[in-house]
Amino acid sequence: MEEKKDRRRALITKIVFIIAMLVLWEILAKAHIFGKRSELVFPPLEAIGAAFVKNFSTGFAGTSLWLYILNSMLLLLEGLVIGIVIAFIFSGLSMVSKTIDTIFNLCVSIFDLLPGVALLPVVIVIFGVKPGVIVFLVVHAVLWPMARNVLDGFKSVPEIYVESGRNLGMNSVQMLTGIYVPASATYIISGLKVGWARAWRGLLSAEMIFGIASMPGIGMYINQMRTNMKNAEMYATLIVIIIIGLVVQYGILEPIERATVKKWGLMK
Amino acid sequence: MSETVLEVRHLSKSFLNSGGKETNEVLNDLSLTVEKNEFLCILGPSGCGKTTMLRCVAGFETYEGEILTEHGVTHGPGTDRIMVFQDFNQLFPWKTVEKNIQYALKLQGIRDKAVLKKKSDEALHKVKLDGYQNYYPYQLSGGMKQRVAIAKAFALKPGIILMDEPFAALDAMTRNRLQRKLLELHSQEGCTILFITHNILEAIALGTRVIVLQNGGRIVVDERNPIPRPVTPDSPGYGAFWTKLHDALYVE
Repeated sequence: MEEKKDRRRALITKIVFIIAMLVLWEILAKAHIFGKRSELVFPPLEAIGAAFVKNFSTGFAGTSLWLYILNSMLLLLEGLVIGIVIAFIFSGLSMVSKTIDTIFNLCVSIFDLLPGVALLPVVIVIFGVKPGVIVFLVVHAVLWPMARNVLDGFKSVPEIYVESGRNLGMNSVQMLTGIYVPASATYIISGLKVGWARAWRGLLSAEMIFGIASMPGIGMYINQMRTNMKNAEMYATLIVIIIIGLVVQYGILEPIERATVKKWGLMK
Repeated sequence: MSETVLEVRHLSKSFLNSGGKETNEVLNDLSLTVEKNEFLCILGPSGCGKTTMLRCVAGFETYEGEILTEHGVTHGPGTDRIMVFQDFNQLFPWKTVEKNIQYALKLQGIRDKAVLKKKSDEALHKVKLDGYQNYYPYQLSGGMKQRVAIAKAFALKPGIILMDEPFAALDAMTRNRLQRKLLELHSQEGCTILFITHNILEAIALGTRVIVLQNGGRIVVDERNPIPRPVTPDSPGYGAFWTKLHDALYVE
């Protein structure tokens, strides 16, 4: 009961806060505090709302925002899958070989510090201005934080599970999938959260810096709105980005958490 | 007609000290044979090497000497020697109670879902946990978790069950109840048990044979339990046996 009440209070707080912010925005918009430039800094809510609809109906240069979203999502998904698979493979190998462990740890420490966008010139030389560049940056964004978490998770698996597994005669593949992965689920999920957020932002930055004509994404859309001084449309696109983020958080990550670590009592 | 199911030959084990130079000899030339269906209780002060011995038998440690079962010399862990730990968290938290048992059986090659279900239900029935099939371990009390661990061990039908103070962290009443349950299972299922304990009363109540270890894994007492089951403090010979074990345990 108590918990339900707390949740309701939190929800009301959030709603009231958001409404207050929107009202404040509208007041600032109507007050024209930046004079002529006010339209650009604080476009009124109704303009943003209309732009939101227009983004999807008319879009830009005859292409609806839907297509941009679809392109971004495809590249993102591809990069995420590749990055996560590589993270698991090398973390698994690190458990078997001390040499791989040392080298992989060093790589994680070094490359996790490099902003992917800084590598763009090199990557473009390698791939050309092709979707592969974006995929590469997404992989770069997700791989290192994911690997760090998976490695930490594997190393903190309680010895008693490992011994139980050995006692039951499990081979190393069974140990990896049957014990190491589920036992470090808390770490893996937190790696997914960090990895996804980094990948999402990395993707948008890369798309804003250069658009790929064959596969234009959301970042490119924002950039087109920006260069055309269509600030209401730009804000409307930012809202789309926020919505996508929330959908991933509450529609994918939280259900995964509920179906695993929360169900198993590993996390409150 | 007795049949040897476990033979420990000249078992020695040293651990490196933290400095990495000196070694700490935990077990020094320990030899022991265990007969089929024996319930061997191992008493000893902390640091006498009893847990190390059990872990060597389980195959979790490297050692000098030889450990033989019915299947010959052992190399590493095996399902013919199942360990029940003291730690309540020995069940896999990501599996339900019945899946914990079924998973272990599956690894032994049982694939038929109906058979698995029947076996896990039977195992849980034996420890009076009917109705808890779909609980996750975190939803159980410590005593219930230990019962599941014991049920799992018996379900695997190992030749030998190794128990490292499985009841030490339980309250006295739960411990008594589980001791009775374990005795019942031992007489019904027919299997050999090696049971480590600090508790003289527990050793007398459970063991068909009791040994006392002192430092270095030296066996100072090795006796058949003269008291017929069920053991009560009124049983004839109880006092004398208690005194004998007590004196061997508290030498200093």
